[in-house]
Amino acid sequence: MDSTQNAFTAGHYAARAQAYVDSRDHSQGADLDEMEAVLRGAGAAGWRVLDLGCGGGHVSYRAAPHVDAVVACDVTATMLEAVARTAAARGLANVTTQQAAAERLPFAAGSFDAVLCRFTAHHWGAVEAGLREARRVVRPGGLAVFMDVVAPPDRAADSHLQAMELLRDASHVRDYSVAEWLAMLSGAGFAVETATPRKLRMVFPTWTARTGVPPETAAAIRALQEGASGAVRAHFAIGPDGSFDLDTATLVARAA
Amino acid sequence: MPTTPDDLPTTSPAPGGATRVDRRLLEILVCPVTKGSLTYDADRQELVSEAAKLAYPIRDGIPIMLPEEARPLDG
Repeated sequence: MDSTQNAFTAGHYAARAQAYVDSRDHSQGADLDEMEAVLRGAGAAGWRVLDLGCGGGHVSYRAAPHVDAVVACDVTATMLEAVARTAAARGLANVTTQQAAAERLPFAAGSFDAVLCRFTAHHWGAVEAGLREARRVVRPGGLAVFMDVVAPPDRAADSHLQAMELLRDASHVRDYSVAEWLAMLSGAGFAVETATPRKLRMVFPTWTARTGVPPETAAAIRALQEGASGAVRAHFAIGPDGSFDLDTATLVARAA
Repeated sequence: MPTTPDDLPTTSPAPGGATRVDRRLLEILVCPVTKGSLTYDADRQELVSEAAKLAYPIRDGIPIMLPEEARPLDG
């Protein structure tokens, strides 16, 4: 089941690696600034860190100057090839790539001083297993930073988000609420220190082009938006062209 | 931090001109199924998990640590 979902996700992203390397929505963000500040404040110069579900590698590129070594890990081989190329082009010699599934990490317990994980847990077939693995491979007292799209507390808005996500990306599994994140991280053995919510404006044509959404599916997403309640439309600040605000959160935690 | 086992390869070009395997990464790698140790087969370019009876391929210097991509070992 999990490996089936992982293969599905890997297949979905295989052809889109460079789009994720180039994506400004992914390469920039206050969450990445916060992650860098946390690493700087932690005195991470001698650290080995794991970029779990590295995708286009933006966590790795931002973390690399602050630490000794970065292992960029993803289930999609073409993503790793793009990350290796980009890291080399940027002179980041301390970034290595590793193909593996989050739920079955091939690292010894306590291998890392920190685990960094951005915009990826919503793809995992077994999120609790992935978080337990993240906890296992980080040393006791080590740092963890999780950044992801989150579901709003309002259930109707939550359903709207998941429906849009699934139409846009058939490999979407689930965006979790901050409350769900806190419970899952606690269950996995992390003590959450801060949870910072942020809004991220998605420009509709860019957002749909990145996953190769066909016109009829884009029209279905637009119809979903047009038919949404006033409260849902207001929550996502849905604009005339379908652009909208995504809820995201950055959770900084310690391995308990 | 794990100690360095003796059977790990040094960082060098693999046979067939593949790119280098990162030695420091190999030091922390375990079998994703059993979390047990791996032995490096330089000729086949594989990381072997005796406990799981699986051999994980190394392609272009990157160990592919996915059970579904691994070669099952007989017996």
